[in-house]
Amino acid sequence: MFVHYLDLAWRSFKRTPLVSVLMVIAIAIGIGITMTSLSVYHMMAMDPIPHKSDKLHAVQLKAMDDGEEWWTEDNIPTQITYKDAMFLNDVDLPFRKTASTRTGFTVHMNSSDVKPFLESARVTSSEFFPMFDLPFLYGGAWTEQQYQSASPVVVISQSINEKLFGGENSVGKQVYLDDQVFQIVGVIKEWDIHTKYYDLNNGAFNSTENLFIPLSLIEANELATWGNTNGWKFEEINTFQERLNSELLWMQFWVELNNAQDKQAFGDYLNNYLSEQATLGRFERESPKFALRDVNEWMAYNNVVSEDNRLLVGLSFLFLTVCLVNILALLLAKFLRRAPEIGVRRALGASKSQVFAQHLVEVSMLGFFGGIVGIGIAQLGLWGVRSTYSYFSALATMDISMLLAAPSIAIVSCLIAGAIPAWLVCKTQPAIYLKTQ
Amino acid sequence: MLEIKPIFNALLRSKVSTFLLLVEIAITVAIVSVAAFVIVDRVNYLQQETGYPEESLLHFSVLTFGDVDRMQQIELDEQMLRNIPDVENAVFMQDVPLSGSGSASSFNSQPDPEIENNKSVRAAYTAGDENMIDTLGVNLIAGRDFNPDEIKYGLSMENPPTVIIASKAFVDEMFPEGDGLGQTVYFGPAPIKIIGIVEEMKGPWLQDSRADNMVIFPYVEVRSFDHYVVRTNPEERTAIKRQIEELMLANYDKRVINPAIGFDEAKAQYNAGDILMARMLMVIIVVLIMITIVGIFGLTLFNISKRTKQIGTRRALGARKSDIVKYFLVENAMVCIVGLVVGSAGAVYLGTLLLQEYSLPALDNAFILYTAGFVFLISLMSVLVPANRAANISPSIATRSI
Repeated sequence: MFVHYLDLAWRSFKRTPLVSVLMVIAIAIGIGITMTSLSVYHMMAMDPIPHKSDKLHAVQLKAMDDGEEWWTEDNIPTQITYKDAMFLNDVDLPFRKTASTRTGFTVHMNSSDVKPFLESARVTSSEFFPMFDLPFLYGGAWTEQQYQSASPVVVISQSINEKLFGGENSVGKQVYLDDQVFQIVGVIKEWDIHTKYYDLNNGAFNSTENLFIPLSLIEANELATWGNTNGWKFEEINTFQERLNSELLWMQFWVELNNAQDKQAFGDYLNNYLSEQATLGRFERESPKFALRDVNEWMAYNNVVSEDNRLLVGLSFLFLTVCLVNILALLLAKFLRRAPEIGVRRALGASKSQVFAQHLVEVSMLGFFGGIVGIGIAQLGLWGVRSTYSYFSALATMDISMLLAAPSIAIVSCLIAGAIPAWLVCKTQPAIYLKTQ
Repeated sequence: MLEIKPIFNALLRSKVSTFLLLVEIAITVAIVSVAAFVIVDRVNYLQQETGYPEESLLHFSVLTFGDVDRMQQIELDEQMLRNIPDVENAVFMQDVPLSGSGSASSFNSQPDPEIENNKSVRAAYTAGDENMIDTLGVNLIAGRDFNPDEIKYGLSMENPPTVIIASKAFVDEMFPEGDGLGQTVYFGPAPIKIIGIVEEMKGPWLQDSRADNMVIFPYVEVRSFDHYVVRTNPEERTAIKRQIEELMLANYDKRVINPAIGFDEAKAQYNAGDILMARMLMVIIVVLIMITIVGIFGLTLFNISKRTKQIGTRRALGARKSDIVKYFLVENAMVCIVGLVVGSAGAVYLGTLLLQEYSLPALDNAFILYTAGFVFLISLMSVLVPANRAANISPSIATRSI
């Protein structure tokens, strides 16, 4: 029966080609605009690490005096101090945890073969790789001993390995970071995430770092941060050591907590730690305050999806509604003009529900065509987005779920728009049309 | 005269299509007024004066890895840059305005923030030598420029800078009486005298609530990145931009030179999100208006085709062509006005929603008014063609097949 209805729908489509094409165009434009903004929204809001986003938690500490304000909604800074980061990183607890920050170097081979280039680097602990799911192509992370002795060792990404060594196993080889020789201990596979959720400081959609070096090098090499540094009180800082001991906030900290008990235990630990620090006189606080947010909470808290984008999604759905209203009007005209034909079919025994179903199949077909053309329009729109703003190039694309969503949204919205005309036409009284014939 | 009562009665007989027209007009008014408001808001933001001759300025950054006296290298580089033909001036600068990256701090009216009556004003700051003001091309409206002997080379707590040049916005916020020139402010515990005031000089972040507060210190300090700003003849800027990497590497090669970028280009990058938003909203408005025109056109055609006989009868009974056109215009105007009222209410509601949820300013009701007027006009215009067609229906239609 469905195939028969499809056949009828196609005949009806061909009988009024202009109106049919107009309807398809109206749906296509509506879907095209909606899918353009929805795709960007989808990419921005997508869970970057679905299987453990509820386990990874960003750690925030309010290691500040009572009454000190911060600009976040809960008044807690998003980064932590170097001393807190290093202590929590090194302390022996039964959870994976890692401090990290962003820095950068000039990468070169001390020869004229490779033109020196700038690369940002992540200074972190070896736990970073398993926590954020970074599998190794060659080698592995640095050893505990290398960490303790602040050895100049580096893990590089697949793309850097390609650029410097033509993709061969480079473990054990050397590379210059600024004017120091580093030994490569591992090569990770390309890290394919859209949202740099582990460090949202310098733009949530910038590319991930391509170099990873041990945390202990911050102190040993006096590394400058390439991220943000915030402070809340005036401190006289003349030397690097004073900077490390200061209350400046410039480190990120993540912990992997597998269940509610873990979260409770780690929370208790932080409570004790902060109380202890307050007793030591670092800051004046009545009660300790901290926050543990999982990946999705963290992204929402940091407003990763921009207000503009939410507004655009809202407006484009309203826009789609206008397109649907037009389609509804056109369908009304088209279906009611066909009333005599329907009258005959009803008289010959077609039930109301059969007539209704037949018309719904017809509007679904229109929706399907509109959705397909709409994908084309959305691709054009996304191309426009990419060419305005290269920063969006990874975001302004449609993944498979969006490609499937486009015709689905088109069909569903057409069914909604088509239901009223289909209902009106199936109520047709056969007697009226039989009389005049 | 306008036959409102019979038209209204006739409308009641075609509820669905009347309702559709009403919904279409209402949504169009709501979307267009909100979108137009956001666009105007963004365009005003994008076109604001920054105080710099953006088309003449370019900047680039350098990361040095070789072992060299960088302080001395800075002098050599500045000399080399100034000697390029068509370069007006060049300077080494700590942070570059409009670039989206920089430093900011609170400046106090008292040496210790704890002191009562202390006034604290936040401002972005940068630093460089006596060529800063000239290179940036900003307008010094009061006081004087830095003297060469005021520039500190290397920064330390023991030898802090003692003078600043600041933007008028910062000085006026700190000293609302307007007597800021020559006054002292505190940067941490260090006293600093305001020796010059610049009319307009935006900081690195245009979206900052204190984007106009900018302070220039007279010191030169090497950090991980060295930034240079070059003011050129605007016609030659593109050509000069291309030479910079080569010339800088020829001067000293153990470093990486990031591509030079114009101030206007850096500003466009920083504001790319806003430019994109304005463009997308413009596309939505234009397409929406086109669709609405086609929609009203189609609905009226549909109404007319349903009423061919009625129109023919009226013509046969003596109605003039202009009466028929007037009938459809009045009918459309009636539906349209209701739609406009509903749509305007929707726009006001959307506006308050945006005000609460987002950092958007309150929707200006003038936008709704203008949009409503505009939609009313295009709606009447899109009725005109089908109405004329209806007027041409022959009275003989009425006598057929009855």
